[in-house]
Amino acid sequence: MNVRNAFLGIDVGSISTKAVIIDEGNAILAQEYIWTEGNPIGAVKKLLGLLEKQFDREAWQIVGIGATGSARRLVGSIVGATVVKNEITAHAVGTTTFHPEVRTILEIGGQDSKIILVENGIAVDYAMNTLCAAGTGAFLSSQARRLGIEVEEMGQYALQSSHPTMIAARCTVFAESDLVHKIQMGHPREDIIAGVCRAVASNYINNVGKGKKISSPVVFQGGVSKNVGVVRAFEDLLGCPVIVDDNGHLMGAMGAAILSKRSLKRTLFDFSVKNMDFVTRERNCGGCSNNCEVICVYRDGSLIDFWGNRCERGAAIR
Amino acid sequence: MKQERKAALPRYGEYNCALKYLVEQGFETKCILPPPLSKRTEDLGARNSPDLVCTPFKTTLGSMIEALEAGADTIIMVLGACRLNYFGELQEQILRDLGYTFDFINLSIYNTGKKRDILRALKGINPRCSMVKAGKALYEAVQMVEHLDDITSLYYQNCGFDPTGTYPKIYRQFIADMYAAQNLAEIREGYRNASRAFAEVTLQKPQDPIRIGIIGDYYTVMDPFSNLEVEQKLADMGVEVHRLMNITNDMLRNSEKNKQAKIREFSEYSMGASSTSDIWQAQNFAERGFDGLIQVKSACCMPETDIMPVLANLSRDYKIPVLYLTYDTQSSDVGLMTRLEAFYDMVEMRKKVAH
Repeated sequence: MNVRNAFLGIDVGSISTKAVIIDEGNAILAQEYIWTEGNPIGAVKKLLGLLEKQFDREAWQIVGIGATGSARRLVGSIVGATVVKNEITAHAVGTTTFHPEVRTILEIGGQDSKIILVENGIAVDYAMNTLCAAGTGAFLSSQARRLGIEVEEMGQYALQSSHPTMIAARCTVFAESDLVHKIQMGHPREDIIAGVCRAVASNYINNVGKGKKISSPVVFQGGVSKNVGVVRAFEDLLGCPVIVDDNGHLMGAMGAAILSKRSLKRTLFDFSVKNMDFVTRERNCGGCSNNCEVICVYRDGSLIDFWGNRCERGAAIR
Repeated sequence: MKQERKAALPRYGEYNCALKYLVEQGFETKCILPPPLSKRTEDLGARNSPDLVCTPFKTTLGSMIEALEAGADTIIMVLGACRLNYFGELQEQILRDLGYTFDFINLSIYNTGKKRDILRALKGINPRCSMVKAGKALYEAVQMVEHLDDITSLYYQNCGFDPTGTYPKIYRQFIADMYAAQNLAEIREGYRNASRAFAEVTLQKPQDPIRIGIIGDYYTVMDPFSNLEVEQKLADMGVEVHRLMNITNDMLRNSEKNKQAKIREFSEYSMGASSTSDIWQAQNFAERGFDGLIQVKSACCMPETDIMPVLANLSRDYKIPVLYLTYDTQSSDVGLMTRLEAFYDMVEMRKKVAH
């Protein structure tokens, strides 16, 4: 039987870990979405186990692997990625492949948020939150916990509100104290939740989207795009429809897989990685007063990769 | 009056070679070089500074502490066109509160615009010095600054295309030569050697390389430690990195008035400090068809924050993407790499499509 080529894309974010396997025509053969839970190595191993079950290894072989997300470097060396790309490029590539007409990509993840402006299918400008993590998924999660609901339910609650509570959106710390104040004043829960969703959207537009021209069609993705309350808030604020792809949470992984397909590097991927033992160790170089933290990655006891050193002195430490 | 004064200036990019030259040759005063900036410098500075002050304040304060630890008994602080004018006064007070004993020569006290007052301030370094000698050393130090800026800009424009890996060695040797130079002949020789060595390297540069222009505040953009070596990182990706912001371009050539006139379309009035220069430089890069602009600024830098809307207009009119980078005392460059890589990818894809 003819074995056909497939490509694996892994996106390890601060909160969730995503992976897809696609064929040459970008059709999804397997996909999975799990929580990172502060353990990127464990999450990737678990993810690979789950993907393996969905995947027909008789008919397909994985020849390209792309890694992205904030743990891309670590995960890239563990799975032997052929392409390691930052999440901004991966998202831009993934989204423009499935929505070639898109002009603006809004992305809100667990810890960061970004905006990508697109013209004729290529990214022409982008911005990412810098010193402030306001208006991200982590804020929504912590407020859901405060209100005693699951973060996944927030959107439905928000839609029931007809008078969203005004919540100061400039800064998460102040938003939170404002929120507590409004709770203690007796505002109904759905109004509060709708207010939180609105605060996230307006914070995003005022900070990340500052000075950027947001043109339609707008695609919204990242974990927070699953919250219909925030989607509604964006539609109200922008005055245009906001597209949320069913696979929006997978776009980074899709982008990574597509980039590995475009790259000429080929390697045969083996699922046995999930049974190997990986250890990372942080060593302080101490060669000078910079005292660089050198991260060393060991597979079954032998060093496979290290980084973090600013000069050659750090390379000797291992 | 003490005979053996040991003066020091905080670290400022590689300009300390010229400052040292001026103090030693012109004022015949021993100049202590504080250790190169490190995480420790920044920690020392940040711990003893107000939290919301701009990062160069913290870095220079840390460097002053390290200079005092290294045996300096006199600190010289420069003047500037923004809050920098108040740096010296506050830093002196902080250092005194920490219990250090030292002389402090704050040039900004004499920031009256009168040349006579500046001379009087400088005379504080060594009252018995000859002003003729100081004038000569100043001229030679200025030459050194011009050579340093020239070699530095050549380095970052080309080192990304050097297949032999000799560029960094030449550059390091040149910097060492400048620190060691004792007279004008040695300065010129170091410069000639570096220029010649650069010219001997055969570069592998594409016909139309990616060119990125860097702008930013006086300190952060010129100090590789403070900007987490943003220029080197870009060059390593294969980018021709251009930076007009240096002492030669900003203080020795190009008058503020002319720059302000040239940017009237975008900004009618000066917003202080580096603002006019930055807008002018950004416009210059955009007019020359650069592929991208990067603004490198310290957190809480007011002039740089003020020009962001102007840069947004410029970006729209010239269709040039701008990446805004804000630095505080962060030591990890992971976030910076993500943004730079993404910026590079974007610029590269744009360029491909344009052709």
